[in-house]
This record gives sequence, C-alpha cells and structure tokens, in this order.
Amino acid sequence: MTRAEIIEKLKDILLSADDRNRETIETCDERSNLALDLGFTSISTLYMVIAIEEVFSIRFDNVGMSDFETLGDVVDYIEKKLS
Amino acid sequence: MFSPSREIFRRYTDAETFDKIVEMESVSELWARCIKEFPQQTAIEDNGVSYTYEQLDRDAALLRSLLKKETAAPRRIGIFAPNSYDFVKAFLAAATLGACAVILPAQLDETSVFGCCMKYGIDTLVYAPELSDQTKLAAAKRPDLLLIAADQNGEEPAPMVFPKAEDPCAIMFTGGTTGKSKGALLSNGAVMQGVVNGCYGYEHVFSLRYLLILPLSHVFGLIRNLLTALYTGSSLFICRNTKDMFRDIAAFRPSILVLVPALAEMALTLSKKFGRNMLGEDLQYIICGAAAVAPYLVEEYAKFGVKLFPGYGLTESANLVSGNPDSAEVPESVGYLYPNQEYKVVEGELWLRGKNMMDGYIGEAEEGVYEDGFFKTGDLVRFDEKGRLYITGRIKEVIILSNGENVSPAEVEAHFNALPFIQDSQVFEDRNEAGAAILALEVVPRQTELSKLGEGDPKARILEELQKVNQTLPLYQRVNKITVRDSDFARTPSMKIVRYQK
Repeated sequence: MTRAEIIEKLKDILLSADDRNRETIETCDERSNLALDLGFTSISTLYMVIAIEEVFSIRFDNVGMSDFETLGDVVDYIEKKLS
Repeated sequence: MFSPSREIFRRYTDAETFDKIVEMESVSELWARCIKEFPQQTAIEDNGVSYTYEQLDRDAALLRSLLKKETAAPRRIGIFAPNSYDFVKAFLAAATLGACAVILPAQLDETSVFGCCMKYGIDTLVYAPELSDQTKLAAAKRPDLLLIAADQNGEEPAPMVFPKAEDPCAIMFTGGTTGKSKGALLSNGAVMQGVVNGCYGYEHVFSLRYLLILPLSHVFGLIRNLLTALYTGSSLFICRNTKDMFRDIAAFRPSILVLVPALAEMALTLSKKFGRNMLGEDLQYIICGAAAVAPYLVEEYAKFGVKLFPGYGLTESANLVSGNPDSAEVPESVGYLYPNQEYKVVEGELWLRGKNMMDGYIGEAEEGVYEDGFFKTGDLVRFDEKGRLYITGRIKEVIILSNGENVSPAEVEAHFNALPFIQDSQVFEDRNEAGAAILALEVVPRQTELSKLGEGDPKARILEELQKVNQTLPLYQRVNKITVRDSDFARTPSMKIVRYQK
C-alpha cells in the first residue's frame, strides 16, 4: 500500500468520526498536526486507534495516537507495521 | 423524605433472585459469602490468566499476612496500582483486614504519592511493581512507611477480620489526579450499600460477565464494576488498555458493561461504521453514568437488544444514588432513589443523608458541605409523579442573568440534546459586540445522524433546527448566539466536558 493510499484510508476514518470537519479533513496532508489542525481529543484519538487497527489489520504496540504529532507520523507507523 | 424501600425494584427481578440480594455490613461479609457460594467460579480474568474465587481468596489471605501489623491504631493502607488482578487482591486484602484502603490513582507522580501518604496518614503502601519509581520519594521521606509490592505474598494465610458497618473501608478521590483533590471517607456500610444498590432493577443480576474498563480508583469502577460483580458471583475481565476494549470484548463476550456516556457513544459510532455490534452479541446491559446520558443512546442501544441503564451517583454517596430500570419509557430520567436514603430538595438542590453517604472529607474544611445533617449535592433536580429523579443542572454552573433570572445550563442543553443529531452542547454566558452579557450555545453534531437532515449544508440545517427548539423555550432560557462546532469540546480525564469559565 502506498503512502497516498494510506492517507486516503485515514481520511475516510477521520470523516467517519468527524464529518462536520469535512473541509479540513479533505485538505489535510502529512504535515497536518493532529491536535492543532485536526482537533484530536481523547475520545477521537481512541476512536482513531481502534479504527486504524480494524481497517489496516494492524495492532498498535505500546504507543497511542498521543505519541504522534502529525498525520505523517501516523502514516510512517502504519507503513512500518504493514511492511 | 425517605427514599422508597427496595420493594420498588422487586418487579424487575424474579422472586428467587431478588431474595438473594441482601444487605451486608462489610466487605469481609461480602467476601465470606463469595468464597462459600462461588468458590470454583471465575472471579477475575487478567493478562491471560483466570482466577477463581477460591484462588483470589488464597492470594488475598497471603497478602493479608504481610499487611498485618501489631498496632492498636486504625490502619490506612494505600493501594497504588493500575487496573489489574494485583489491585483487586490488594484491595480485598486491606478491606478484609479491617483497614481503610486509600485508593491512589495510578497516574500520580512521586510528589503526589508522597503528598497522599502524608495527608491521609497512610501507614502501608501496596504498589504495583511497575509503579515503584513513583514511590521512591515517599520511601525516602517516610522511613516508617511500610512498602509492599503487590505481587508479594506472605507464607501463611492470615484470617479475615470482620469490621462493623461504621468502620472505615475506603478513601476515594472525588476528582482530578493531582493528589490535591478531596478524599471522601466511605465506611464499610456505605460501600456495601453502594454494592447492593448496583443489583436493583435487572432481570438477571447474578453470574454475569463483566468487562472492567473504568479505573478502579473511581467509585464507579471500584464499587459498581468490581465489587457488585464479586457480590453477584460474576466474572470480571480486566481490560488493561482502553484501545483494546473491542478485542477484549470479542474474546471475553461480556453480558454487562459499565461505561461513561462518551465511551458508549464511541462504541455506537464504531458499530455503525463497521456494520456490526462492536460490543458483542452477548451484551444485555450497559450501566451508564458519571455524566449526563443522552436519551439517544438508550434508544439506539435498544435497537441492538441492549438495555442501557442511566444512573446517578457521587463519590460521596459510595457511587449509586439512583438508577433507571424504566429507561425505555423515560430515558432522560436517572431513575428511582435506592433504599436507605433520606432526602430534601432545597431551592431545587438535592440534599442527601443515609447509609451510603460518606463520613466526610479527610483533612478538608467541611464548611458548606453539610447543612441540617444533610450532604448538599450541588445538583439541581426534580421528581416526576412516579418518584423518578431528573438532574436539571449544577448549582455552581447556574448563570444569573442581568434581569435576575437563574438559568441552569443543563436544563437548557437538555432541550437541544434531545435532537438526535446533537451529540453534546454547552450553554454559557458570553458577551456580544457591545459588551453585554448574553446566553450562548455551542453544539457538537452527531456525525452518524447528519445524513437524516436531508439535502443542503448540514451546518445550516442544524442551525435551523436549533433555532426551532430555541423558539419553544421560555424567553429567559432562549440563547442569543448559536455556534456549530467543527470539533469536540475539551474533556476532562473522565471524559466530561470542560465547561467554559466566565
């Protein structure tokens, strides 16, 4: 799976949790800050972790979304887990 | 006024089961019944290991022997561990030794742990080995403090002690995780009343399968989730990491969950996204509390065949004050008051006293906490004609308008929250451009329901619907400004909304 494909799937997850933020999510990129640009809270973070595990069939180790700063960091992690 | 007797809950449960729900004086009495009636049943599943009631009894008895001290002074034993079998064992060992367990949240840093040891007069600290670094300061500055790793055991089991109902059982923090929050002292009788209250209103209550997600340092986790599970001979699966909750649910197949509303909402959203009930097909009940429960959740979970019980409680009341077995009929109510409480409603505020109430805050001034022998909850309430309770707001959150009218934000928010596409809302005092005080509303839409709004810009449609509701309110409750948020509100560690400060 390419990085672009991972990003698209992540956007789909983000939209399912936060459709009201559609414009921001559709235009976000790897540099987008999870807290500042995408408004991540404790609940949306938990949602993301669970949805990522389900969609990508991966398992987060002892890290949580709070360990990531940008969307690109999340893509890095998923890419590594998928390789 | 007195709360109804327990008989009000009889109609929800068969006679044989109802008669097994008996009041007890102490956690020791609870535990004695458990090991007599359910010795071979699974009590706890944690980290891949199952422990029967008999095994848990043996392990608690061995730890109890290490905790014993030849002293006439009342004992205060700190429990500093995350959710785990070791926590359960340590709490049972302390409580069945007749000591008062001081429950320290696992997130405390070493300064806070030391502060708690001093403030609450802890003489012994049982800690999870992985938290040993946070105990170093206390160990260095309190050489008299007995430190015991929770995975240690004595060589010979020590017998149980049977305290009286009025003897202290636990000190629980009322909020925050800084070590500076207040510690409520709960007697054995109060804890046991809370445990028994958790049994009322269900068709099935014994031998259920519980999953533990809430922290055991919170009364909702300790009393309703753990101790009521043990009281009823149920099995408790400890979920160590919330992110794994659905994986744990798939493996353990719980029949009952104790959740805060934000988690219940998240599980619902995920279930809709992935097209299956993420909480499993065996789930019968969700106990929901610690924050306002949206009626929408009751209705949506009913579609999955799950009965969601809203309830109301406080740390100061050993968790449960009331529960709503009639949630299908009145989802917005928090139900009937549990037995053995006396109450007053003074200028809308609920005052309580009774067996389940705390014996005060430790080391804090109690000015304003009690009046006329009653604990002032700070919650504004009303009752319906059947005696069911409704929370209409918090006194400290009341907004006093310039015309002298008092507005309870929760009461106004309830009207907007009744719209299925509103997930959460907050009414607060704001200023307009001229600097005058106005009533403002911010809402967080519920994403899964937005498609039902029809065509057009969802934000505009939401505003339109909110305005319609606004027009139905009495003039003094109408908001002057409405904002549809693009993101969730900031939340506390227990996932409650952080309210705007004036």
